[in-house]
Amino acid sequence: MTPPQPDGEAGPVIETVALSMVYPGDVTALDGLTVRFAPGVTGLIGANGAGKSTLIKILLGLLEPTRGAATVLGLDCVKDGMRIRQLVGYMPEHDCLPPDVAASEFVTHMGRMSGLPAAPARERAAEALRHVGLYEERYRLIGTYSTGMKQRVKLAQALVGDPRVLLLDEPTNGLDPAGRNAMLELIEKIGEEFGISMVVASHLLGEIERICDHLVAIEAGRLLRADTMSSFTKASQTLVVEVEDGLAKLERELARRGLRPRAYQRSLLVPIGGDDTYDAVRDSVADLGLPLSRLERRRHQVEELFRDDSADLTLEAADAG
Amino acid sequence: MPADTTATAAGVIHDLGYRRYDGPRLGRAQIVRALAWHSFRSAFGFGRGAKAKVIPVIAFVAMLLPAVVNAASMAQGNGQVIGYDTYQPLLRDLVMTIFVAVQAPELVSRDLRSRVLPLYFARPMKTSDYPLAKYIAFTAACLVMIEIPLLLLYLGTIVNVHGGAAVWAQTREFIPGLLVGLMWAVVLAAIGLFLASLTGRRAFATGMVAIFFLATYTLAEILLQVENHGLRQQAAQAAQSAGPGPFHIVPPPVPMAEKISGLFSPFTLFDGVRMWLSGHGTGQSDNVLYPGSFGAVYAVVLVVLLAACLAGLFARYRKAARLS
Repeated sequence: MTPPQPDGEAGPVIETVALSMVYPGDVTALDGLTVRFAPGVTGLIGANGAGKSTLIKILLGLLEPTRGAATVLGLDCVKDGMRIRQLVGYMPEHDCLPPDVAASEFVTHMGRMSGLPAAPARERAAEALRHVGLYEERYRLIGTYSTGMKQRVKLAQALVGDPRVLLLDEPTNGLDPAGRNAMLELIEKIGEEFGISMVVASHLLGEIERICDHLVAIEAGRLLRADTMSSFTKASQTLVVEVEDGLAKLERELARRGLRPRAYQRSLLVPIGGDDTYDAVRDSVADLGLPLSRLERRRHQVEELFRDDSADLTLEAADAG
Repeated sequence: MPADTTATAAGVIHDLGYRRYDGPRLGRAQIVRALAWHSFRSAFGFGRGAKAKVIPVIAFVAMLLPAVVNAASMAQGNGQVIGYDTYQPLLRDLVMTIFVAVQAPELVSRDLRSRVLPLYFARPMKTSDYPLAKYIAFTAACLVMIEIPLLLLYLGTIVNVHGGAAVWAQTREFIPGLLVGLMWAVVLAAIGLFLASLTGRRAFATGMVAIFFLATYTLAEILLQVENHGLRQQAAQAAQSAGPGPFHIVPPPVPMAEKISGLFSPFTLFDGVRMWLSGHGTGQSDNVLYPGSFGAVYAVVLVVLLAACLAGLFARYRKAARLS
């Protein structure tokens, strides 16, 4: 058993310092990005064109950044690209599978390309396909697969070389809701049970919320926010009150009692002043005889990342200082 | 492998069915070799369905035929009918054109079409290793197509000749033939792969490669005729303007025009360089006449063509790595 690396456990899996990428034609994809990715599953979130794919390419050592530096597992992305690619599995966003090859054969070949000798490549390909739930169908031509199955093959080929880190670019792309859930469960399983650190790039906030330990949000090549998932969704000083009927009546009643309720979708948000806030809400509902369906402290939604008015969400952005 | 799997982590992983790989890992050179071998096999349709094997097998059998005919002919007491240097020129031009046009796209266009390249680039090799492996593989495939028939020709001949001296004489002719085949393979593979790498559409790639070889060959032939025609006209005009005088000396530039025409097609270049290196022509079976010292120009043009195709091929994948 090899001893754990000195900073293997606590140190960041990925780190970038003032990373900038300007493409020819003055297109800025990354603009001074400084961020750390801790071990575990990290969501890399941003709209299309925010710089997610560019960051992944730099991390793989395929693009040389204009300025700044990036490391993966402590290895420099510019100098040690080859070594990094030995330790990292990559699942691209777009289609990348030949239709006229059996999945087992394709994943075996990709295992060979990851540096596995012939026999282990075959074994691990079968295993990777089993892990993604394609064991029975592995001898079928990829062209006959559904979109969801193809996504699983893409994941299997990233997994076959036994990576320490997985970079997944929009893994739920093109999937229907059921396929999306299945893929997310799979990613969660790989992260938790296989102990592989992952970066999951996505533009869909709701998905990231479910499966990530950490979150890194970028916009226009700049860091928007980086923190643990729990701190994003920690309980806030706001009560959510939902009644089946008579929302407006309740709002007036709460205002009369000196609270500041705010209608939000089909519920009321009430700032918590103290324990008496709960009592006031309870009494108001009881007095009006309304059917109460929900009363709880609100958790932050990741959507609020992009809202300026979420005052109590001022989280510290990771500053590599 | 250095791994940060602690004892407990490894235990947990084992229980849940995921096994880490801590066996040996291949280095970059071995990965390139694995890719080259995989590509070499696919050049003959191995690892593909039966349909993929049709063209390469037919092409290979067609290339073997002259050697078989030669062996049969010699067994009946006839002389050697096929030479090692040009083999069967028209057949070889045609079959190799078809083989390169159909199989070069198999090696490179398929990967472009299915956009699988980013997966290769994300693996522990350099961007240039991919075209390198493909080039090694396809050169080897072209060598098989050209040299195996030559080997069969050689074997079929030496079993029908008697005495060590005769076998030695055959061997001395056989070896330059192999080297000519090497020249063919190295250049054809570069041209075929470069052109095929420009498009992910197989049919386009095949068409492009086939048209390149056929068009350049036709161009060389047409130029030859135009030059000849033009020169004949000049000569006729000169003769006319001079009046029906006594004998006029018509300059004899026809051979030079023919030599220049031979620069426009890979196949005529091969022949020109071969004759230049061997120092003699081999008569009517050649595409071009013996170029003499002009053969050096053939060699330079051929090397430039090879270098340009290889540079283009590698540049193609540098660009692909940035954009994919």
